[in-house]
Amino acid sequence: MHTSPAKLLILIALSLVILVEGRTVLAFFGINIPPLETALIGLVIIATLVIWAIRPLRGSPTKSE
Amino acid sequence: MTALFVDEYPAEARLVKAAFLSSFIAFGIGALFGIIQALHRTDIFRFIDSIKYYTVLTGHGVFLVIAFTIFFLVGLYQWAVTDSLERGPVDIRFTWFWYGLMAIGSFLAAISILAGFLEQPPMVLGAELRANVLFTFYAPLEANPLYYIGLALFLVGTWLAGIDWFRTWWAWRDENPGERIPLRTFMVLTTMMMFFLGSVGVIVSILVFILPWSLEITESLNPLLTRTLFWFFGHMIVYFWLLPAYLLWYSVLPKLSGGRLFSDPLARVVFILFVLLSTPVGIHHQYMDPGIAEGFKFIAMTNTMFLLLPSFLTAFTVVASMEHGARQRGGEGRFNWLQALPWRNPAFTGMALAGLVFAFGGFTGIVNAGMNINYLVHNALWIPGHIHAQVGTATALTLMAGSYWLVPQLTGNRLVGRQVALFQVVLWFVGIVFMTNSMFRAGLVGVPRRTAEPQYQGFEYDVPVGSMGELNAQLALGGTLLFISAMLFLVLMLLTVFNNDSEPIVDGTLPPALSGPEDSPQVLDNLRLWFGIAFALVVLAYALPLAGIVAQSGLFGQDIPPFPVSSEAVMYLEFGLDYVGALVT
Repeated sequence: MHTSPAKLLILIALSLVILVEGRTVLAFFGINIPPLETALIGLVIIATLVIWAIRPLRGSPTKSE
Repeated sequence: MTALFVDEYPAEARLVKAAFLSSFIAFGIGALFGIIQALHRTDIFRFIDSIKYYTVLTGHGVFLVIAFTIFFLVGLYQWAVTDSLERGPVDIRFTWFWYGLMAIGSFLAAISILAGFLEQPPMVLGAELRANVLFTFYAPLEANPLYYIGLALFLVGTWLAGIDWFRTWWAWRDENPGERIPLRTFMVLTTMMMFFLGSVGVIVSILVFILPWSLEITESLNPLLTRTLFWFFGHMIVYFWLLPAYLLWYSVLPKLSGGRLFSDPLARVVFILFVLLSTPVGIHHQYMDPGIAEGFKFIAMTNTMFLLLPSFLTAFTVVASMEHGARQRGGEGRFNWLQALPWRNPAFTGMALAGLVFAFGGFTGIVNAGMNINYLVHNALWIPGHIHAQVGTATALTLMAGSYWLVPQLTGNRLVGRQVALFQVVLWFVGIVFMTNSMFRAGLVGVPRRTAEPQYQGFEYDVPVGSMGELNAQLALGGTLLFISAMLFLVLMLLTVFNNDSEPIVDGTLPPALSGPEDSPQVLDNLRLWFGIAFALVVLAYALPLAGIVAQSGLFGQDIPPFPVSSEAVMYLEFGLDYVGALVT
């Protein structure tokens, strides 16, 4: 793993927070992101974080090894 | 492993546990009322009448910001004084006496509020038993006298708690002449000095004006005077909620980070600044009130802006301490040291996230404090957004996180569900951001606070971001996450208390600061001096406004009858008709 489950949890939480607050800030600049698209962006961010976190580190032994 | 607090001070540990138990019971009831409100006012799920909403709202405020926070404070401060002075109180019976007063007071206030759910509340002291007057109990809204008696007993108990800690310190000082006040005791004593000074307003308001009026001993009161006396107390109490969290951030968080507090002198300066500045600012809650000259409001605003200073000092000191801890744990680089912090520890993570929300909530407080922009958000949903960020997270989340560290030391039991606890604090963090974000956005377009029915017929809010439906959904989602998080916390605490066959894995020792008390000027420990200056500042800020209010309408107002809050809608009608009739004639 690239990070511990605890750090992954914090990263996901922080991503959600940045998404919610960032969407509000962008709206003040005339960039409106609808709720559905916001939710989809959130899902993509979470999926990316999870995949990155569970991907084995380069050079680390795999299970078959 | 050092000896646990419960082993070293079993009698004191019992008192702390009793205080925490009272706090957690209030937290559970208050949280339940919170989710009811979130679902009701967003019209997502309603199972009570909108009239009963105000009973729920009163309970939510009183159970959480009075009972939950202050019972936790007295428990935490009893631990802090005992542990840092390494001695118990002068007389433990007196300690139990003030706790008993607080408990009885809470019980009386609680039954007065909860009786509001009854269709026909019983008659007590010559009036219906009810107290739908919200946390601020603005006259001429009137509760049953029992409610005010309960509040008065609770306040007296809290005063006696402070006196008890001063007595303990005096006894310690006689045994340790010439020693500096240990930091945690210094924090306790300065907090209580602030409370003694700031609570005078509400005590006078209750005992001299509102209680005699509710008992029909006096016939009238001056609503602006009692309201001003409430806010004399009302902003100080914000710091009374917050300073226990500060105590944990300054004393426990550096240790959890793996290091030591950066500066003991800076911590002392911060607490002294709160003694000086927390009370002469209350009028900033009354920018919209007629009867107080604008100049006094401007002075209150200026004083309030000075309060940013201790918050910035805290942000620097606490983050510096965390960085020191992270580097002790092998952290390197400009920002990479953040990765070395103990994120798996729910006590650390909860406090760190609470601090983050506190910084954000602090900026929203600047909006509230600015006279001009306050007019935009006054009495709007923005204000509960600010309160939930500050008290509802900076304080509440820190206290929950602190409990994960402290309760095992008080019970001798290992914390149950450490990973669930981590999830719980993170869930609270996410929930509060969802909820407060919607509150801030709704507040900016004028959605009112303190109402069961924020949607008016034939009127649409001009929401610049998203829609009202989306804001409501977000508020309800955030509120639900918070409720789940609160219940998880209470379940973990309950399981920990009964986890008898275990050994705690927590180390209760707190390392000394990097820059210790020897680096701080002796004058910082001159409590009389700081109390004297604080008193003078309060006189300067309040003497003329209070004199002006009394000069306008008299001490007891001019024929201001009570406005009893009842489920009987006809009473509203009668009052309305009387009022309109009086205006016409």
